[in-house]
Amino acid sequence: MHPHKPYAFVTYRSEECARKAHVHLNGEKLQCGGNSVTLYLSFVDSEEASVPLPEGLVLVEDFVSPEEEAQLLAAIDWSSANDDITAQKALKHRRVKHYGFEFRYDNNNVDKDKPLPAGIPQECLPALELCVRNKHINIMPDQLTVNQYESGQGIPPHVDTHSAFEDTIMSLSLGAQTVMEFRHPDGRLVPVVLPGRSLLVMKGESRYLWTHGITPRKFDTVPACDPQSPALTPPDVRTHSNLTLSKRGTRTSLTFRKIRHEPCRCAFPSACDSQGAPSTSPPSPPSLPRCHDDAAQLEEEYVHRVYDAIASHFSSTRHSPWPQVCHFLSSLPPGSVLADVGCGNGKYLGVSTEVIAVGCDRSSALIQICAERGFQAFVSDALSVPLRSATCDACISIAVIHHFSTQERRLAAVRELVRLLKPGGRALIYVWAFEQEYNKQRSKYLKEQNKEHPENHSPINKASEDSHRPVDNIQDVSKVTDGKLSVHTNRTSFNTQDLLVPWHLKEGKRQGEEESGEGVKKEKRKEKSKNDDSAHNTTSAPKSESSPVPVFHRYYHVFQQGELELLCGQVAGVKVQSSYHDQGNWCVILEKDSIEMN
Amino acid sequence: MKLLTHNMLTSHVKGVTKGYPLLIKATEVKMNEVEFNPQFVSRMIPKLEWSALVQAADELGQRQDLPGELVPDYEKNEDFLKKVHRLLLEVEVIEGCLQCPESGREFPISRGIPNMLLSEDEA
Repeated sequence: MHPHKPYAFVTYRSEECARKAHVHLNGEKLQCGGNSVTLYLSFVDSEEASVPLPEGLVLVEDFVSPEEEAQLLAAIDWSSANDDITAQKALKHRRVKHYGFEFRYDNNNVDKDKPLPAGIPQECLPALELCVRNKHINIMPDQLTVNQYESGQGIPPHVDTHSAFEDTIMSLSLGAQTVMEFRHPDGRLVPVVLPGRSLLVMKGESRYLWTHGITPRKFDTVPACDPQSPALTPPDVRTHSNLTLSKRGTRTSLTFRKIRHEPCRCAFPSACDSQGAPSTSPPSPPSLPRCHDDAAQLEEEYVHRVYDAIASHFSSTRHSPWPQVCHFLSSLPPGSVLADVGCGNGKYLGVSTEVIAVGCDRSSALIQICAERGFQAFVSDALSVPLRSATCDACISIAVIHHFSTQERRLAAVRELVRLLKPGGRALIYVWAFEQEYNKQRSKYLKEQNKEHPENHSPINKASEDSHRPVDNIQDVSKVTDGKLSVHTNRTSFNTQDLLVPWHLKEGKRQGEEESGEGVKKEKRKEKSKNDDSAHNTTSAPKSESSPVPVFHRYYHVFQQGELELLCGQVAGVKVQSSYHDQGNWCVILEKDSIEMN
Repeated sequence: MKLLTHNMLTSHVKGVTKGYPLLIKATEVKMNEVEFNPQFVSRMIPKLEWSALVQAADELGQRQDLPGELVPDYEKNEDFLKKVHRLLLEVEVIEGCLQCPESGREFPISRGIPNMLLSEDEA
């Protein structure tokens, strides 16, 4: 039975039984309350033969001719759209252009007071007039968004903002066909094939309540050429052998909408931002802080809370101590007192059995893991370490200081390390490098495309001790615009020094579990559509799409060549003993002056 | 938290000058068995603040016959080294707190882990 539908499917034990039922029940009148209802029975080829479209959704095929399609495509001028085309390509985003009014992706709404200079192109008028004649719409739309999807691109599931646009939304598909998925809050999923030159009309429930999206894929599973109705995709792969893979090509969609000027009063308040539903606009990106309080707040949200949330998973990806760090640790005389400031999961606390090691970290969750491993560690901030001055023979701070969001705080962190050192003591500091490619060698971080979730791996060490002289002047790298921090796309070069790096959370695995089993390679999964054995029996999208993985953003300030040395140079009583680049990190070894100068 | 760690920890509350050693208030103490390495213990001793260790041992009722001062030639004194080994590495405070001797501020110890985080105004 399909919820809320006035029909049901019945399977009989034999053809004979089915025929008898048909004879006796078809046309029968039933009394239901005060109403008389007629029961109609029909035979169907297979129960799943027709999955009804979401209510209010209409698909009209061959809405425009091939000539009209060519004209419309030619009418779109991409030259000025999406100013940063190289960024678009690098990020593999679909191309977008707006006419009439600009749809803003930062708040998922429209600036109704700022119409764009260009309205809907003239070339669209014949198609729109046809829509009016065919009664799909009463009023001409005044906003057009053009989306161009290459194979492998898509758009996440969403409901078009209620308060921005009136009810009817029409989308004309030009170029290659694709599959659009509609999802109801109750879990129903309806994939709809959108052939080229077809018009999709969304009204009512399909516009206001169901989400629609296009899974980024290069192939779709579609019915094998049923020319009559390619649009309705039978969901059950097991009972239908008439399915095939359809390779995606470039598809351009023209979505026509009418700007709404009054609050929305639809019948779906749960999804309505005019009626109190939470707005779907993405949270506004953080800005680079200007004072300690702002900095502390930024770090609380984009460093500390994140590590506490991802601790288990994070720890499972941080199992191999880096060779150069181990080398430093092994060089310490037996009985040395070592402080690991920002020790994380205690990776380095057990490397040398000769030293007296203690670790501290801001994350209780990570310190908990240290304790479980039998290491001595405590929770504290790197800016204020509760150890007495000049009590440590050595300190290490590996991949820590790049989490501080102002230069002052980074300097304070170095000062604190130096304070802990005895005269003659040494500190090793590692920070993520802006330059991921060094001496024409791409770091492993950049090279590894196929890993579980690329961004969940930090640059891995490879010994490459370069003789390297400090740079006198730091290049003027493009500063963060508006002070807003952008999210970095992993496995690509950095283009700003201050950024947010995503972490895709998976169920944390403990050490000892198969490292190769750590999650499924996401890239591979995208290509296949996976059979979902749930009651809905749909060819659901790969799991990574239909059950989204939580993403966390960590703040980083990546260091330019020479920057770490300059920073350390500002601390009195300490010398840079050596400095080097190590697989995507800038590293220094500091030595505290043997005689305390005052 | 082992007493070796306690020996290193200090109160870092702003303005405090006599924050060491932290007073131990333990509600749960565990004894571990740790392999005795006389060489390692010998090397640890010069790094310690001896009086702080004695004080900690007293607070936990674990002092036994530990001398108030370091004995000379302890490197060869296996008996002595064993006592130090036991105190530093085998006694573990699981629950309780560390108290700043000057300000009285308490830092909780939970599941063996001291939480030394200060609030905004204490730092």
